[in-house]
Amino acid sequence: MILSVRDARKQYGKVTALDGVSFDLEAGRVLAVVGANGAGKSTLIKSVVGLMRFQGQVLVNGVDVARNGKAARRHIGYLAQNPSFHTDMTVQETATFYAALRGAPETEARDAVTAVGLEAHASKLVGALSGGMRQRLGLAVAQIGSPPLFVLDEPATGLDVGARLELREFIRDQRAAGRSVLLSTHWLEDVPSTSDEVLVLDAGRATFHGPSSEFVRASSARSRLYLRLNGHTPDAIPLIRAVAGGEVARTGEWLSVTCPTDEKARVLEALVGGGITILDFRVEEATTAAAAAPDGLEPVVQAAAEGGRS
Amino acid sequence: MTATMSIFGKELRDAVRSRWLVAFSLTFALVALALALVQQQGGVGAQGFNRTTASLINLCLLLVPLLALILGASAIAGERDRGTLGTLLSQPLSATELLVGKYLGLTVAVWGAVMLGFGVAGFLVALVSPVTDLGHYLLFVLLSAGLASAMLSIGVLISVASEGRSKALAVAVLTWFVLVLFYNLVAIGFALSVASSGEVLLASTLLNPVEAVRILAVLSLEPDLQVLGPLGSYLYLEFGPAWSAAVLAGAVLAWAAIPLALAAAVFRRQDA
Repeated sequence: MILSVRDARKQYGKVTALDGVSFDLEAGRVLAVVGANGAGKSTLIKSVVGLMRFQGQVLVNGVDVARNGKAARRHIGYLAQNPSFHTDMTVQETATFYAALRGAPETEARDAVTAVGLEAHASKLVGALSGGMRQRLGLAVAQIGSPPLFVLDEPATGLDVGARLELREFIRDQRAAGRSVLLSTHWLEDVPSTSDEVLVLDAGRATFHGPSSEFVRASSARSRLYLRLNGHTPDAIPLIRAVAGGEVARTGEWLSVTCPTDEKARVLEALVGGGITILDFRVEEATTAAAAAPDGLEPVVQAAAEGGRS
Repeated sequence: MTATMSIFGKELRDAVRSRWLVAFSLTFALVALALALVQQQGGVGAQGFNRTTASLINLCLLLVPLLALILGASAIAGERDRGTLGTLLSQPLSATELLVGKYLGLTVAVWGAVMLGFGVAGFLVALVSPVTDLGHYLLFVLLSAGLASAMLSIGVLISVASEGRSKALAVAVLTWFVLVLFYNLVAIGFALSVASSGEVLLASTLLNPVEAVRILAVLSLEPDLQVLGPLGSYLYLEFGPAWSAAVLAGAVLAWAAIPLALAAAVFRRQDA
């Protein structure tokens, strides 16, 4: 087990940032931590790295972060949400300095700068780099020493499409090399392509931890259709289930159908094609359909309906 | 240890690149030279390094604490303001190692600046005066280095306890004002007029590293009771020159160690 978090708690005055969060991450796996702003993602990430005092226990490769943070951080490559480096140092000086801090040879610093495509900017001052380039430098520094666990705090923030694709590739490469990645994100569309598991945080509590496939299925935008048909309701139910799956329930003369948002038009097409006349219909989008989401994923489904963010 | 040395090296290199220390060295050397020349032209008589050393005491007691406090106060608060503190502490590095590495780097840098300032001044004075009392001159360089270490330690404590660099600098300047300017007027006046027991006089001396170094410097030059002042006179008469020097040197060392230890204890308990 590369990472084990047990009953992590953090309180800021009266505000609970982490409320008994526990999970494990195995070697070679990628875990995405998702949740709304203020859900506790960054607090959890910083606690794992040992940048924040907390109650509970975090073991990185078996080393207790609270008791021996220095040794634990040897196993961690960390990328902050907005990585900050000394602006009066060049890219290469920065990488060399952090390599020295990790006890890694200077050649490794050069390799890391090359790996993130910054070799042409190696002699440039950090203060002259764009946000995207600083992010790359952050990834270069995180790679030095080949840590078995990468901890990335909102790594896609501020990146353009190309850089985000490169980031996905970086994560895939680490997984392929048997390394683990813990990342926080509010971009739900990044989850299926990058992570094996998802941990959902809501007000500091872990409300869901499971395979990303289950998360993606549950958090896809959903709609609820209310249909009033012309007396062919018993015929309509199997037709709807065949087309869109989901839940179909009968309430008086109305049928309610909960299905992925992009399937709702197909439901109407199938009914019309089956010779069933639709007398009336109403559509509710995921905001209200969230009640139908599996336990723990309501906040994510709500947020998905509000623009793909959580 | 590797991490501490890396931080030490970076701090030292930053200091060398910084215009602060170069400006300090040059200013110090020029003022020292001017003092030596004024003494000669004013008919005081050229008495080499001894006279120059005496005239440098007050200059040094003003400038070295200011420089050291400001640099110390910027050490951690500056990293916090730039957002680089989290980046540093996310590495295999303990908070204590970071603090000690920074302190040592700054200490050696300030020592270098003090020695460069005194060295240039000494060289220029030697060109116009016969070289005598070089030992006193070197001893005062050493005392200045000790004072710098103590004030850096206090500065680092201020830095750790402050939310940002501007607050840390404000507290550092206030501390400088109290220890260098205000202390003689109020603390010593209080000790003499309100509670003039031996313990209070001793505490008044030891509670201020600037005063401790001033008395040490005077003791090493000429233990004249008028020059020593009330606190120095008390120490001299009570303990004798050797024990007084030992007690004062111990106080300066304690000022270099205790605030730094406190800073490390506070820093370890903070979130990055």
